[in-house]
Amino acid sequence: MFQTKRVTSREGAPSLGSFHRRRWTGDLTLRAGLAIVTLGISVVLAIMMVESFADASPVYEKFGILGFVTGTKWAPSFTIYGAWPFIYGTLLTSLIGLVIAVPISVLIALLLTELAPARLRAPFGIAVDLLAAVPSVVYGLWGLIVLVPAMRPFEQGVSATLGSVVPFLGPPTPGASYFAAGVILAIMIIPIISAVTREVFASTPRLQREAVLALGGTRWDVARTVTLPIGRAGLLAAVVLGLGRAVGETIAVTMVIGNSNNIGTSIFAPGFTLASVIANEFNEATETLHPEALIALGTVLLVLSVIVNAVAVAIRNRFTGGARSGF
Amino acid sequence: MASDASVVFGQTSLDRRFKERLFVALAVVALVLALIPLAAVFGYIFVNGIGSLLSIDFFLKDPPADLTAAGGGVRNALVGTFEMTGLATIIAVPVGLAVAVFAIEFGGGLARAARFLIDVLNGLPSIVVGIFVYASVVVTQGHFSGLAGALALAIVMLPVVTVSAEEILRLTPHPIAEGARALGLSRWRSILSVFMPIGLSGIVTGVLLGISRAIGETAPLLFTTLGNNFFTPDLNQPMQALPLLIYRDALNSAYQTARDRAFGAALLLVLIVFGLNLLGRWLTTRRRLAGSSR
Amino acid sequence: MTSDSEGLQLAASAPGLSTPPTATVPAQSSGPVAVDGSAPDLAIQVRGLNAWYGERRAIRDVTMDVRANAITAIIGPSGSGKSTLIRCLDRMHEVVPGARSSGQVTYQGVDIFDPDVEPAAVRRTIGMVFQQPNPFPTMSIYDNVAAPARFNGLVKGRKDQDALVERCLRQAALWDEVKDKLGHGGTSLSGGQQQRLCIARSLAMEPKVLLMDEPCSALDPVATLQVEQLMTELKSEYTIVIVTHNMQQASRVSDRTAFLNMGEDRAGYLVEEGPTAQIFTHPRQQLTNDYISGRFG
Repeated sequence: MFQTKRVTSREGAPSLGSFHRRRWTGDLTLRAGLAIVTLGISVVLAIMMVESFADASPVYEKFGILGFVTGTKWAPSFTIYGAWPFIYGTLLTSLIGLVIAVPISVLIALLLTELAPARLRAPFGIAVDLLAAVPSVVYGLWGLIVLVPAMRPFEQGVSATLGSVVPFLGPPTPGASYFAAGVILAIMIIPIISAVTREVFASTPRLQREAVLALGGTRWDVARTVTLPIGRAGLLAAVVLGLGRAVGETIAVTMVIGNSNNIGTSIFAPGFTLASVIANEFNEATETLHPEALIALGTVLLVLSVIVNAVAVAIRNRFTGGARSGF
Repeated sequence: MASDASVVFGQTSLDRRFKERLFVALAVVALVLALIPLAAVFGYIFVNGIGSLLSIDFFLKDPPADLTAAGGGVRNALVGTFEMTGLATIIAVPVGLAVAVFAIEFGGGLARAARFLIDVLNGLPSIVVGIFVYASVVVTQGHFSGLAGALALAIVMLPVVTVSAEEILRLTPHPIAEGARALGLSRWRSILSVFMPIGLSGIVTGVLLGISRAIGETAPLLFTTLGNNFFTPDLNQPMQALPLLIYRDALNSAYQTARDRAFGAALLLVLIVFGLNLLGRWLTTRRRLAGSSR
Repeated sequence: MTSDSEGLQLAASAPGLSTPPTATVPAQSSGPVAVDGSAPDLAIQVRGLNAWYGERRAIRDVTMDVRANAITAIIGPSGSGKSTLIRCLDRMHEVVPGARSSGQVTYQGVDIFDPDVEPAAVRRTIGMVFQQPNPFPTMSIYDNVAAPARFNGLVKGRKDQDALVERCLRQAALWDEVKDKLGHGGTSLSGGQQQRLCIARSLAMEPKVLLMDEPCSALDPVATLQVEQLMTELKSEYTIVIVTHNMQQASRVSDRTAFLNMGEDRAGYLVEEGPTAQIFTHPRQQLTNDYISGRFG
């Protein structure tokens, strides 16, 4: 059966007129079928999101959105719920994670682009993929049994010597803490930050790099004159991407953060993040409004992570002139 | 000749040579620091878990009723993981492919909306996905179930599959696309018979990566399938899964028996995940080496 | 150490040549001399230079001299290894992954490939300007000239830097055009101005030799003329080597010319080298004659 030859763009421009031609060919069925599936999944996802907000609404009604988000007390038995200790914990642990992970990732990316190309690239690629694939619960298990006990003396040492002088470094130091969670987070986000940063640095124009070398520059000169300044925006995008991952990390954090509702004033104190408190308390949430409050925390987490990811995408789009497929 | 050389060309100042050496040293230290956790985690898990894996009972028996007792295995978790991940794959892959093909071939507002939702999903913490499914399925059904767990995993897998399928399809070389059209192939024919086979290994890689991600997820399962200390293949019941078992045993890790089981299960999980990843990678390299076909 | 007689045979040993040299060559013309710096008007001496990109040989057994305070042009068709040759002269060739070279390149009696020699130091003495102007995009015009010098420890302090920037921009015939906008970005200039900025930047290193790899091919005729005039002014203080595919430019600007051709093994080799006037009017090799008159290339 012959069909009129049509040269259609691959960019998916819909073929106008196919509906006018009353051709019940396979094409129409296909399109309809695909459309139904697409519509279906969109509706399902949308309903789920709406349901969650709906379930959380009693809590928002009771405390007000701002009141809930800034509330500092979380006491289920008194039906008092405030999200701030957990927002604080999420931000603090993510910050610690980034402070550790970003310099290491940048150095690794520089190493692989400026100092040791080709040979190391493949094995490193594999190592990064594998590091990123290890499930959160395995990191958590290791963190709980190995890392936390090993860090306790370190934390105690730092706290004893610097704690009185530098804020945020004092006691308590039970081991499981914001800091431990930050370290685990750093381990988990180094792969993605360094992989993205490496791609950014690898795309530094060869001409610029050679210009520095031809002027008698060392490789460090190349890095600081050309690679880092030109790669600034890409590096920022990578960091925000890592932040997004850190904000949402649940299980590994739960297992090493010590589980406390307080707003710890030391990084060595125990605490909670938004994700970890939900994981910890959900299945025992029997008090009034407790489950709803936890779902409300989930919506806060949802909004937070959407914002962070939107910022990452915006940075990437603005500076690379086009969306790349998600990592 | 050294003295001649520095007379003729001069020498980089001591200060700058030092900075250069420092730079290289720091970079190497950073790489080592980053790789230590990989070695440490995998090594520790391996050493502490291999003992459990070597006993066939580990795979055939369920955990003892008293969690702190010795013996038993992780059969219920294995079956649960297998069933839930399998169901999740059956749901997520066709849907993901459908959306990807729809977006690339036909475009339009609906496709854009769907892609937007899926992009949002991509960056979402998996615990939030668990909450979604809890709020809509578990509450409606009135009980936890493996089915809900599978749904949650499917939602986690969906963005991975969709994004990688879209990337692969987008990369189909233009001449082939035009060639298919010029031959008078209808759209569905060209998709099914030309584009998909070309992109097959890439799509399979994407699926493998999705499975690898879903298999290790704990958070979405926490309030959908809840977990079960006993064996049940019934998806309508709460089911156990490997990550859940590890999580629960980790919380009881004061007991050596729980710890051993946790490490055994963790090693098993890591080996499965590594295997899937390496398989996906191998497929990708094989595709590239096969020349012009993608 | 090479003996005088060997050099004169170099043209005959080039593969692919069916006819032997036709005219007798006076002994004191462009043959290479001993590598002991005993000819003080020589800047660079190249002996048996080969270069590869991975497995592929790019230039084969090149032996030639570069005279000081003169402009030497390297001409030849595409693929004849001109860029590779000039990049070997300041050790930029090895920067490309998988690239390597063998042979000697001597500057004032020191082989630049000697293990005791730092590549960075060589590149400060032998500077390079590229085909595509490449001012640093994140720096101002001022900083483009000053920063590399600052990093290299050649200047400190504001006043010294100001003086350096002005001196180099004047030498590059750019000062008058940019003196009021030194703070503007390096890339805000026209193509010809950018190229002169790159020249100024190289001059800030106080090199002795300036290598220029097709410096005008990305420029319009007006800018080309400006750069050519600049080269002629600079040669009193510097030694200049320029790669060009534009024969008219070579004959306009250079004192000596070297002609490279691609051999049957696809590696470039030196066909002949000599005073520009002679190369363009009475070349010794038939091949050179053919290329000059446009019969190939």
